[in-house]
Amino acid sequence: MALLEVENICKRFEKTEVLKGISFTLNEGESVSIIGSSGSGKTTLLRCLNFLEMPDEGLIRVRGETLFDSSAPAGNTEEEIRRKRLHFGLVFQSFNLFPQYTALENVMLSPRLVNGVPEEENRKNAEALLSQMGLTDRKDNYPHQLSGGQQQRVAIARALALKPDVLCFDEPTSALDPELTGEVLRVIRKLSEEKTTMIIVTHEMAFARDVADQAIFMDEGVVVEQGSAVEVIDHPKEERTKQFLSRYAEA
Amino acid sequence: MFVTVTLSLLEGFLGTLRLFCLTLLFSLPLGLIISFGSMSRVKVISVPIKLLIWVIRGTPLLLQLLVIYYGPGILLQKNIWGSGDAGRFIAALVAFVINYSCYFSEIYRGGIQSIPVGQYEAGQVLGMTKSQIFFRVILLQVVKRIVPPMSNEIITLVKDTSLARVIAVYEIIWNGQSFIKSEGIIWPLFYTGVFYLLFSGLLTILFHYIEKRLDYFR
Ligand SMILES: Nc1ncnc2c1ncn2[C@@H]1O[C@H](COP(=O)(O)OP(=O)(O)OP(=O)(O)O)[C@@H](O)[C@H]1O
Ligand SMILES: [Mg+2]
Repeated sequence: MALLEVENICKRFEKTEVLKGISFTLNEGESVSIIGSSGSGKTTLLRCLNFLEMPDEGLIRVRGETLFDSSAPAGNTEEEIRRKRLHFGLVFQSFNLFPQYTALENVMLSPRLVNGVPEEENRKNAEALLSQMGLTDRKDNYPHQLSGGQQQRVAIARALALKPDVLCFDEPTSALDPELTGEVLRVIRKLSEEKTTMIIVTHEMAFARDVADQAIFMDEGVVVEQGSAVEVIDHPKEERTKQFLSRYAEA
Repeated sequence: MFVTVTLSLLEGFLGTLRLFCLTLLFSLPLGLIISFGSMSRVKVISVPIKLLIWVIRGTPLLLQLLVIYYGPGILLQKNIWGSGDAGRFIAALVAFVINYSCYFSEIYRGGIQSIPVGQYEAGQVLGMTKSQIFFRVILLQVVKRIVPPMSNEIITLVKDTSLARVIAVYEIIWNGQSFIKSEGIIWPLFYTGVFYLLFSGLLTILFHYIEKRLDYFR
C-alpha cells in the first residue's frame, strides 16, 4: 500500500480553479518531483497537503488513515487539523526561520512545544540533525548571521525534527544565489539516499530527474504527465511536457 | 525660596507621575485588546472600534478631557465623577487611558501586521497552536518593532499629563504657576521644565537599553 494517496484534489480561489483534480500516490522511501510552469498550482498543492489551504474536493490518505475527505466532511476542528499537519513537513522557498531563535533553538522549539520531547533528548536530536546538515559549527548562530543556503538547511532540519511521514519542499533553492543552491541540493539528495519520503517542487530539472523516483508535470491545475523521473524529464510523451522542457533546455 | 519651590514642584510632579503611571498601566493592555478588535474580521466589532480610534485620534486630547469631565453632567444632570480632587483625577485618568489606548492600539496593529505571514505559516506547519505561535514566535518580533514608536508615544505622554490641569487636576505646572499669583515670580514655572527634561531623559535611556537588548536578532 502506498504511504501517501492523493485523489482528485480540487481547489478554487474565488472564481479561478487552481487545482482541477490532482491524483498521485507515493510509496514509503520514495520521492516525487513536481515540475511545471509558474502559476500551474504546485505551491497550492503543497499548501493543501499541509492544510494551509483546505481543498474543496478530494481525498488525502497517509498510511491508510484518511486525513481529508471532502465527501465525508467531518473532523476538521482546529485541533484535529493541527494534528493532521504533523504527517507532513514543509520547507518554504523563503525559509521562514524564527529570527529570535538560534539555529539550534529553531530546530528544538516545535518538538518541545508540540510533542513535549524531554529537553536532553530534544537537544541531542536537534544537534544530530544540524550535523547531518553540515551545520554543527553554526548551531548557535541566529538566522541573520547565516547565509541563505545555511538558513535553508536549518529549515530542513527544523522540518525533520518532527519526523513527518512526508517532507515537502517548495522550490527550496529559488531564493538562493546560484552558488548556494548546490549545498542545499546535496542535503536533499542525501535525504533521498536515506529513503526519506519527499515531494519536491523544483525548477532544477537535472536535480528533479536525478534525485526523485517519480516526476509529475503539472500545467494549469492538472497532472499532464507522470511516471518515472527519468522517463518524464528525458523522454516526455506529452506535447505540453516537451514544450515546457525545451524552454528549459534553451534557458 | 528655592527649596520651597523645589518641594512644591516635587509634590506636583508626584501628581504628574501618578497620572503617567496609571495611564500606562491601563492603556498598554487595553490598547492590545483594541488592536485585536480593530483587526477583527467581524465587522460589528471592527467598524465601531475603528470609528472610535478615528474620533480619538482626530480630536485634541484637551477637548476629550473637557467632554469626559463635563459631558456626563450635562447629559445625565449629575456628576458621575464624584466631587473634589479625586473625582477630577479619575475623569482625567479615564480620558488619558482612552486616548492613549487608541494610539497604542494603532502602534500594536502596525507591529503585528508587519510580521510576514510566513512566520505564522511556519508555526502552523510545525504543528503549533495559535497561542503558541503568537506567544513564542510573533510577540517578541512585534515588541522589537514597536519599541521605537512606543517610546515616542510614552515620552509624549509625560508632557501631555500637563493638559489635565484644564479640569483642575494638580500636577507640576499647576504648582509652578501658582507661584505667579502667590509670590509674583515666574521662574518656578520655567523650572518645571527641568523636571520634564530629567524624566524624559531617564525614559530615553531606558528605551535605548531595551532596544539594545533586542538587538541580537533582526
Ligand atoms: N490565496 C490565493 N488567492 C487567489 N489566488 C491564488 C491564491 N494562491 C494562489 N493563487 C493563484 O493560483 C494559481 C497557482 O498558484 P501557485 O502559487 O500554486 O502556482 P505555482 O505553480 O506554485 O507557481 P510558481 O512556480 O510561480 O511558484 C496562480 O494563478 C495564483 O495567482
Ligand atoms: Mg510556487
